[in-house]
Formats: sequence, C-alpha cells, structure tokens
Amino acid sequence: MTKRQKIEVKPGTCIPWEQKLKEIPEISGDETLFRKVWEDIDALGYMFIWQCLLSF
Amino acid sequence: MEQLYAERLKRYVTAMRNEKPDKIPIRPFVAEFTAKYAGYTCQEVTHNFEKAFEAARKCAADFDWDAVVANMVYVWTGLTQAIGLKYYGVPGIDVPPNTGFQYKEPPPEKAFMKPGEYDRLIEDPTGYLFNVWLPRVSADVSTIGEPTSFRSNLSFLKGGMAMMKYFTAFGTQNALLRSESGTVSAISGILKAPFDILADKLRGYIGLTMDLFQRPDKILAACEALMPHLTHVALSGADPDKNVPIGFWMHRGCVPFISHEHFNKLYWPTLKPIIEEIWSHGHQVLFYAEGDWNAHLKSFTELPDKAIVYHVDKADIFEAHKTIGHKFCISGGIPNFLLGFGTPNEVRDYCRKVIDSVAKDGGYIMDASAIIQDDAKVENIKAMTDFTREYGVY
Repeated sequence: MTKRQKIEVKPGTCIPWEQKLKEIPEISGDETLFRKVWEDIDALGYMFIWQCLLSF
Repeated sequence: MEQLYAERLKRYVTAMRNEKPDKIPIRPFVAEFTAKYAGYTCQEVTHNFEKAFEAARKCAADFDWDAVVANMVYVWTGLTQAIGLKYYGVPGIDVPPNTGFQYKEPPPEKAFMKPGEYDRLIEDPTGYLFNVWLPRVSADVSTIGEPTSFRSNLSFLKGGMAMMKYFTAFGTQNALLRSESGTVSAISGILKAPFDILADKLRGYIGLTMDLFQRPDKILAACEALMPHLTHVALSGADPDKNVPIGFWMHRGCVPFISHEHFNKLYWPTLKPIIEEIWSHGHQVLFYAEGDWNAHLKSFTELPDKAIVYHVDKADIFEAHKTIGHKFCISGGIPNFLLGFGTPNEVRDYCRKVIDSVAKDGGYIMDASAIIQDDAKVENIKAMTDFTREYGVY
C-alpha cells in the first residue's frame, strides 16, 4: 500500500490537501487560500478521469 | 424570445413535476438527426463539436420544441482521439462517415478491468482509474512503472485542455439556445448506475455476468465503492437552479440482461440511495430507460414522488404509466422505427394514442423512444412535433 492510499481519498479529490501539506514547508501565509486553490484545481483532475469513465 | 423561453421552461418543469402544464412539452432527444437536418455528415458532428452545436441550434430554431439536449451527439471524438481512447468506432475512420459513432466492447479476456482487480478498485476507485484503467483504455497513456513518453504526457495535456474547452462551450451553447430560439437545455449533469459502469467500461458485460456467479460479493463491494463518486459527479454537474434533471443513462442492469435476483441484490440497492441522495439536494433524475425496464417498475415506485422523470424506450409505455404514472412524469414512447420507416399519418396516430392514454392528466413529455438518429424522416419528426402542439393542449 502506498503512502497516498493511507490518507482517505474522498470523492472530488485526487491528492488530498492533507497529503500535500506534508510535502511543503511550513506555511507562513494564509493556509485557507492555499488549501482552497489546491482543492479547486485537484478537482479538475478528478473531473477528468471520472468524466472519461462516465461520459467518453 | 425571453418570454418564449420562460413559457417553455415553465411548461417543461411543470410536466416533470408530474403536474399539468398549459400544453404537452416537446423534448426530443435528437442526436444524429440534427446532422441530417443541417446538412452535415455524422463524421462532421461527431468530430467537430461546433458543427454539432450549430446543427442542434438549427433544429431548435426550426421546430417548435420546448427543450433539447445541447448536443446529443455527446461523444466528441476530437477529445477521445486526443486522449487516445481505444473503444470508439469513429465515423470516417472505423465506420463510414455517415454512420454514428460506435462503442467497441473488448472480448472478456481483454476486459479493461481484470477479474482479480476488484479489491484495487474497491480500495481506491480514483487511483484505480488513473493507474490501471486509463493506461489500458488509452493507446497513448503509459502503464504505471513503465517509462513515460511524449505521447503519454500529451494525452493528459491535450485531453485535459480539450475537455475543459468542450465543457466550457456548453455554457455558450445553452445561452444561444435560449437567445436564438427560446429553447431550454433539457438536462444537466450525468449519472450512471454503479453496476452499469462495471458492465460498460470496466469488466464488460460478459465478464460481469461471469462475476455475478463467481464473485457476487466483490461486485456488491465495488458498486458500494463507486456510489459516493457517482453521486458526487452527478451533483457536480447538476442544474444550480434545480429546474432540469440530471441525465441517467440506463444500460445493462435490467431483466433479461441480468436476473431479478441480481437486480434486487446488486443493481437496485446500489442505485436507489444515490437517487435519494440527489433528490435530498432538490435535483430530479431523468431515468433514460434504454431497452425495456418494465420488469422493475415496482422497485422504482419505492422512490419519493417526483424524484425522477421516467423515459420509456422499448417498454410498454401504457403499462409504465399505469404502474408509476401516479408518482413520476413519463416521457418518450414514440417508436423510432415509426419515425424512420412510417408515414406522417402513422406517427400522428401513435402520438394521439400515447397522448390520450398517458398524457391526459399532465406529467408527460413528448419524445421518441430512443435518441433520434439520422434514420428518422424529417417529415415524421415534423408530424410528431406539429401534432403534439395542436392536439396536446390542456
């Protein structure tokens, strides 16, 4: 089992923010902003693969 | 035009809520018919979505329809080619330019998901799709662990950007349908049943039928693992105004493709909670019941009133209305063979029969049985439209 799979991957998510957070230096700025942008763009990757499965 | 749009939206939504509008709404799911009408080949509308959009708008402008799908030739093969997807028969390459695109299901031994891979899918469906499924269905995507390639990298870049371009274009298309012809975009979002997705794109129908006897517990667990994702995708694309339903395309989950027992133990228990969850958010689901699903009508009555719109394809629409018409709006039921090979008078007679029996108290939307392809005669589509407009007034 990979490290990635140990963190619950919820619907709408490819790489959870909790995992990304472990990979970057301590945040001195606004974590909420970093998280929101990460999750918004990560959701596009999720959309890509699930739309491939369902629509195309 | 805005007033016409408002009238049509009200008519369409009222019927979908199983109530009586001013007239029977007309919402034909016109697919390759739009190409025929607009003077394009199937290749053109399948591979150039701008032409498909233009053809859909031309039909919407010329026929008195309340709602249409913004592009019912939904699979844009420019996108599928960019990703490298192997399973489409593309007009002009794999099939003649004037034949609609085809889905090519691989033989069981080449199924995109192997029988021993259920646990990987169950554990992490999204990871499985990216890491195992996509490299198998794409001619370009490299398998995990093998060297990547120019083509593999391009598949994601071009595929992702093309998908974004395509989806973004639907916003403009819907706005043009509204401003040019006052036509409502009929559906928003997509749903498929967990069981159907296993059959369609993962194990294949034959592989899944073997699994029904060899590993039914794995099928159930896989369906359960897919449920939250399919719910999420459906809600992500749903109409924010909660007017038009989520399209639900029903494929291999009915008798006789599977048994009553398998429907009751696997298909329905992993679909019903999805519909209930979606309805709890205020969204209807359009059951596009391809084939004949009348064996399962009683199961569908377990759903909350008005939660779904039920589209009838080859099933007996009169029986469907009798069993579920008190709970749900019904659409469709005009045989495609009649639209392709019958006469306008025969079409009018059949429309009259359906309207008299199914639509008398509202809760009915006029449409063909299945999506309308290029075999339908223009004069028959006109007969269905004009007769319904004249006769279908409450």
